[in-house]
Amino acid sequence: MTDALRGEWLKARSGRAWIVLLVSGVYMSVMTSFGYGSEGDKALDQGSADLAAVTDDVVRAWMMTFLFAALYGAVVVTREYGSGSISRSVLVTGRARLFGAKLAVGALMGALSGAVAVVCSVLSAWGVLAVYGRDFAWTQETTLIAAGVFVCNVLAAPWGVFLGWIIRHQIASVVTVMGLTLLVDPGLQQLAPKASGYLFTIAMSSVYRDVGHTLLSPQAALLVIAGWLAAAGFAAYRLLRVRDLT
Amino acid sequence: MSEPPVIEFHGVTKTYGEVTAVEDLTFAVRPGRIVGLLGRNGAGKSTALRVLLGLVRPTTGHASLFGHAYQDLPDAPRRIGVSMDTIGPTPGTTGRRDLRIWARSLGLPARRVDDVLDQVGLTDSADRRVKGYSTGMRQRLALATALLPDPELLVLDEPVNGLDPDGIRWLRALLRTLAAEGRTVLLSSHLLAEVEQTVDDVVILQRTLRYSGALASLTTDGADRLEDRFFELAGASASGGTRD
Repeated sequence: MTDALRGEWLKARSGRAWIVLLVSGVYMSVMTSFGYGSEGDKALDQGSADLAAVTDDVVRAWMMTFLFAALYGAVVVTREYGSGSISRSVLVTGRARLFGAKLAVGALMGALSGAVAVVCSVLSAWGVLAVYGRDFAWTQETTLIAAGVFVCNVLAAPWGVFLGWIIRHQIASVVTVMGLTLLVDPGLQQLAPKASGYLFTIAMSSVYRDVGHTLLSPQAALLVIAGWLAAAGFAAYRLLRVRDLT
Repeated sequence: MSEPPVIEFHGVTKTYGEVTAVEDLTFAVRPGRIVGLLGRNGAGKSTALRVLLGLVRPTTGHASLFGHAYQDLPDAPRRIGVSMDTIGPTPGTTGRRDLRIWARSLGLPARRVDDVLDQVGLTDSADRRVKGYSTGMRQRLALATALLPDPELLVLDEPVNGLDPDGIRWLRALLRTLAAEGRTVLLSSHLLAEVEQTVDDVVILQRTLRYSGALASLTTDGADRLEDRFFELAGASASGGTRD
């Protein structure tokens, strides 16, 4: 298994996918945190928010990186189907070990993305509010939000990996991850706010402690996420075992 | 007593929906031989090789390597080198990095990468991105990957495709050297003239098995042309499955 992990780790860092997705996640999050900073500045002037809440919003904006962690997970699997190198991976590593190694490497890259997000969220809390001539107020809640952003990144990458194994096509898997995160789950949240808390990406909202929606408790949300990951992982592994590699 | 076969197909049939790619395929490959798996495009050559390697499940029958299914064979990735037309390099890599990935996955020392790069003549291009490689260079890289574990058996799918005349001559010499060392080579091809100069044994496949045996027997020790015998056995026009 060690050899499989070493090979997959080198593979994961090959090409530009990981850096492009990481930079994209950082860029989107910076833009969003500035948006929250701007709105927060007005709210502070009007007295409708306090500095701690604005700081929380700016830090929470970094949850966007989990979308890119999920995309990376999907791409790291499906690009091998595109090139045909998946057959060699199966021949060299074996289906079970390959599944485990890609899962582990995906989670590791998710952790890397999460660590970058947390560091950047701290910097943005200081930097964004400094642009508006304000200090920031880091509270225990802010720490929990930052921790939630990290956990979401770690969990999103395996989600993408599993979807990649199931879908086996790069564009289709990217569209699926983005569609679920940006359209389907938020859409269902509008239609059925209570029930939508059990959707994967909406459950993530509980973990990074989103506000303004009906959400599960973080503990319940983590159980829901574990259930989704177990179901997707089971389907992905089962399909990898039985489907032909043509 | 003769040595046990390295490769055996027992009544292998593979269907994709309504299409039968290979049907009731039974043949064996003896050790130390270069064996040409011949057939037209769509005759089922690649499907047969994928069944052999456990990448595709046969509908009926089974195939074995050294007496085991690929996935049950101890140390299979180090004993069997594979180059297939449809297996590309890792996306976004250079030739050297692609080989390093597989060397690490196989638990091989890094120096093996330099060895095989030298063996296939890619040392000077090793640090270029594979995306910029010519077809012949990609073919050499695929062969380098197959040679990486110094395998007992090579399974090569259309290894001549894309090689220039120098490359073809080099490959022929390489395969002869490997066979002289006691290794076995199973290569698929539709280039009959090339195969005639390289192989010891021939398997002719046109969805079903049409011939399996020594090249010399098929061509009456060279009195007949392989091409003529191929068309006699495979039929004048394609009649097999549409999947290869």
